[in-house]
Amino acid sequence: MLVEFAIALPLLILILYALGLVSVNIFRLSRDQLADYVLESEARYAMERITYVARAAKAIEINGNYHIKIVHHSVKDLKDTTDNGYYPKDLAINSTAPFARYFMDRDVWETQIFVATPAKDRDYKYIYAQHQENVRNNPITGANFFGDTQVLSMKFSELNEKVLRIELEMESRLTKHKIKIATAVFMPGLEKLEITQ
Amino acid sequence: MKKILNQRGFMMLNVIFLTVITALAAMILINAAPRARNPQATLRLTALYVANEQLAQLESLAAAGNELTTANLVKPEDLKTANFSTGEPLEFTVDTKIGGGNPHKVTVTVSWSVKGQPDSIKVERTIWVAD
Repeated sequence: MLVEFAIALPLLILILYALGLVSVNIFRLSRDQLADYVLESEARYAMERITYVARAAKAIEINGNYHIKIVHHSVKDLKDTTDNGYYPKDLAINSTAPFARYFMDRDVWETQIFVATPAKDRDYKYIYAQHQENVRNNPITGANFFGDTQVLSMKFSELNEKVLRIELEMESRLTKHKIKIATAVFMPGLEKLEITQ
Repeated sequence: MKKILNQRGFMMLNVIFLTVITALAAMILINAAPRARNPQATLRLTALYVANEQLAQLESLAAAGNELTTANLVKPEDLKTANFSTGEPLEFTVDTKIGGGNPHKVTVTVSWSVKGQPDSIKVERTIWVAD
């Protein structure tokens, strides 16, 4: 009974091996495509967040490469009573018109820090969006299920009066493909731009 | 009986053979699919940001009270990109059209071509020139 199989067996083994190789190839193509999509998606998301916050900026402090601190206009919930130094509390409460008071009570300046720094136990960088210095608990890139990414460079500069130029370069750790995007955002309410280091 | 046993081994061989052929065909089709080689999506994103850069520069000019210009105000290194896998560097062409009246409707067209295939995006913004 096994004699017939013996004729076909070597060919069978070769064909099974070929099947395995082809399956691995198909899987690899799909995996790389997903990882590249994740890379582009994360770069776009990080850039959109930075430009959105910078648009409403009152003060910008660029601290070397990889670090920017933006004080921007925001609308905050009245229940949050922490004083971050920019809350015009007395101005709001003394207003007599109830409509104006509703908006003025919630009209605050928030501080947003975008910093690209190595993640915990790693030697490659993620971008973190924090409200305070030296706290790293809110990464906005990296550790994606379909492919990890790292930040190669994140540069900020002043392109023109009240124009901030942002340059972001990221790389997928899975496929080693890079993406580099640069844009500029005009900040109508900007009062102070400081570049240190 | 012997004839049937003969055919059983070759039946299995044929089944696996057909599976391999199908898998090979699938791999060929995935390779041939244009989306895997289409660089245009990433380039569109990069071009959108280049257009935003030109518009931000125009907004800055307008806020300072200067008249808008159709000149290219994008930093030269931002016009060159290598954001796709074939490795050839690419250069964007920025074209600005300024509408009449104040506020002006500004149309920025960023165009490029990959292997002879041209593509472009158009971004519009309304900019008010300060007095």
